[in-house]
Amino acid sequence: MGFDRDGSWHSIAWLGWAVAASATVQLAPSPVYVALIIAVAALVVEVHALDSPFARAFPTLITVAVVFAFLRVALTAATTHGSAGPVLFTTPDFTLPTILGGFTVGGPIGAPIVLRAAAEAFVIVGVMAVFGAFNATVSHYELVQATPRAFYEIGLVVIVALAFVPFTIGTIHSVREADRARTGGRVVRRGRLLRMLVPILESGMERAVGLAESMDARGFARGGPSPRDRLAGWCGLGSLLALGGGFVALVGGAETVAALLGVVGVGALVGAVTLASRGTRRLRYRPRQMTGADWGLIVVAALAPITIALLDLAGDSSLRWVAATPLAWPTFRVLPAFAIALLLAPLSSLWRRKSTPEVPLRRQNVKEAVAA
Amino acid sequence: MSAIAYRGVSFAYPDAPGLALDGVDFDVAPGEVLLVIGSSGSGKSTLLRAANGLVPHSSGGRFTGEVVAFGRSTRSHHPRELADVVGFVAQDPEAQFVVDRVETDVAFVLENLGLPAPAMRRRVEETLDALGIAHLRHRSPATLSGGERQRAAIAGALAAAPSALVLDEPTSQLDPQGAEDVLAAVTRLNADLGTTVVLSEHRLERAAPLADRAVVMEAGRVGAPAAPAAIVAAYPGAPSVTRLGRLLGWRPPPLTVRDARRFAAAADLPPGPDPEASAPAAGEPLVSARGLEVELDGCDVLRGVSLDVARGEVVAVLGRNGAGKTTLLRALGRLLEPARGTITGAGTVAYVPQDPNALLFAPTVRRELTETLRLLHRSDADAVHRWLGALHLDDVAERHPRSLAGGERQRVAIAAVAVGGADVLLLDEPTRGMDAASRAALEHAVGQHARAGGAVMLATHDVELAARCATRAVVLGDGDVVAEGPARSVLAGSLFAPQVLRVAPPYLTVEEVETAMVER
Repeated sequence: MGFDRDGSWHSIAWLGWAVAASATVQLAPSPVYVALIIAVAALVVEVHALDSPFARAFPTLITVAVVFAFLRVALTAATTHGSAGPVLFTTPDFTLPTILGGFTVGGPIGAPIVLRAAAEAFVIVGVMAVFGAFNATVSHYELVQATPRAFYEIGLVVIVALAFVPFTIGTIHSVREADRARTGGRVVRRGRLLRMLVPILESGMERAVGLAESMDARGFARGGPSPRDRLAGWCGLGSLLALGGGFVALVGGAETVAALLGVVGVGALVGAVTLASRGTRRLRYRPRQMTGADWGLIVVAALAPITIALLDLAGDSSLRWVAATPLAWPTFRVLPAFAIALLLAPLSSLWRRKSTPEVPLRRQNVKEAVAA
Repeated sequence: MSAIAYRGVSFAYPDAPGLALDGVDFDVAPGEVLLVIGSSGSGKSTLLRAANGLVPHSSGGRFTGEVVAFGRSTRSHHPRELADVVGFVAQDPEAQFVVDRVETDVAFVLENLGLPAPAMRRRVEETLDALGIAHLRHRSPATLSGGERQRAAIAGALAAAPSALVLDEPTSQLDPQGAEDVLAAVTRLNADLGTTVVLSEHRLERAAPLADRAVVMEAGRVGAPAAPAAIVAAYPGAPSVTRLGRLLGWRPPPLTVRDARRFAAAADLPPGPDPEASAPAAGEPLVSARGLEVELDGCDVLRGVSLDVARGEVVAVLGRNGAGKTTLLRALGRLLEPARGTITGAGTVAYVPQDPNALLFAPTVRRELTETLRLLHRSDADAVHRWLGALHLDDVAERHPRSLAGGERQRVAIAAVAVGGADVLLLDEPTRGMDAASRAALEHAVGQHARAGGAVMLATHDVELAARCATRAVVLGDGDVVAEGPARSVLAGSLFAPQVLRVAPPYLTVEEVETAMVER
């Protein structure tokens, strides 16, 4: 190895882990298990987070998810009525005009409704935690390099766009401080959004232009499209048309035509990807191979949702929790918890880490840093 | 054959009335280091960006004439088709990284050029070594220091082994140590690999001695290339030693402190001001900090700082990166809560952040000032007029702040905060990216504000600025006050003393020498 920081996993392995973890959240939406998965995600970030802006954005992402969860609970509670169960409190109610839907907002707020909405919102927080952990641990560029070459350009565009998320968070912090500095530390709330929005957007714009020039000056998309690329483009267009036509035919009930167009469409798509992958002259710098351990990680992580799904089939009632009357605590069972613990598999590289030759190199780095 | 040839190039940006380049006609010789100097807005960036065709391919606009880089005309070649012969590094290194890891980012250009894998591998290793950043290979550029990040950005262009490197103000955003590292690396590339280097700079004391030739730009025109000593000697924004040499009639005017010392040994100067003279009695303290301790992200950034800023003072806060200068200013500006200690005082304070872009949002410079007053529920047309004049912004008052050059933006940000009428102005690294004219305007405005009964505190790496306008200097190290006192005595002992003090102590500035000569 040596290419990557020792003890880290291949991007594809992380992708597998993330898919398995989010499937587990969906299959075991009881708050107890979701909480367990969030804990697993946090632990994985703690151990494996890369030295990247995405890793630093993890807490922000969780905060955003929690805020949205609260919003969702509030909205659901205010607009859902007529359920049995104890009433938490009563708010003044009013009915919207028919043109806006004509439903009633406010009124008695029932405990089961709030709890049910909270449980559903918690699942979203769980999925966001898994997503955040994936972003904090994966090298996006490595992921793009591991995809078929036809997707390289579009993939690069996506990671460049993704990089604007942590950048914008940083800009927001400095713009907010500058706004306070302007008035000598006093906060003037009126019109603040506009005052902040302009510098944030303009900084983002300037950065985008700078990046585009840097990529251009460094030979990105050099040479232009080859005849093969053009052919791939036509194949792609053809495949889209065929698949679209197939869909229309399916809706119209012409199954044979639909099947035919579907086959043609898929064939053209495969052709487009193959052609474009061959057509690209780009070579990869130190492409990383999937090791046995990486495949192992995917298998172990995949066992988590599979086990949960089997338990569900076997009738494990603890996986789902519904706030019904009378209210009951969500139940906890060892077997699903054990399945979720399989998602801790990435931590196994902690043992691998000790035996790699990069450890002395790191100490040397520390010495250099101290000397400097 | 010339490396890069400009043939009758004229260029105007879209929607801009004037010409950014006006009949430029000169050659960059292969293997030389060419220094481009000129004030902000004189067209330096445009000239450099034309070298690989970013002007006009990326900028748009009207372009006449021709630029030929190593036999390829930018009329028929895009920047990406010149990537193997001209490496370009823009002013702001932050926006240049495509991949979030130094090593892979360096390889980006090689992947685009389609080099075979083994050659790619070797080239990356060599490039990392050439710039001394091999130990940073796995780091994210976002976590590097300014100097490291600039060297990583240069590596990203250098990996392609271009015949020429074009650097747009590579050190303007850096502290002295970072700037020295970058310039040393660039000189080494030129000497060892024979890479042609074209760079623009404001801080001539560092860059001029390294260059083979220099050109001056003014309003889009390029003067005849000549030896840096000859060019700089006649240039208004020359380093202090050169201006001292001009004053004292040294021929040829020196470029470096070393050259100047030879002249100074024979010079007959009047005895200067007493270096041990105590500072004039300070006025009433406007802000007092006592035992200030600040923690950020679990680190002690300030460990018990006590100081006063009195009426009429200009205090320079010096110290290396990470010594706590910015944190001290932000704490005094009430932008962060100290963990322990108190800040008292009758004066109002206002902090001007390092990055002017975080502050500016109005459509014109004048509106930028009136908006501040509106937020403070005041209207003071006189203050707007006064600050626009003090910082020499009258000519650009109706322009869009974002269309201005870096040094001008910085001055707009200072005016936008200062117009609020705070007694104490806290300026964080105000001369970053400023040309000589901007610096002179800033120094003037700072002195004026202090004389009018206010006070100014500057956090800066720029010792020349401190020498020229500070009445008192504070040196921070590792969150403590290391030295404090009158600027002359504090700067005298320091390794980064201003140039004049090193050549002709105890004088701090050329102006002091001039006054002493007149008096005699």
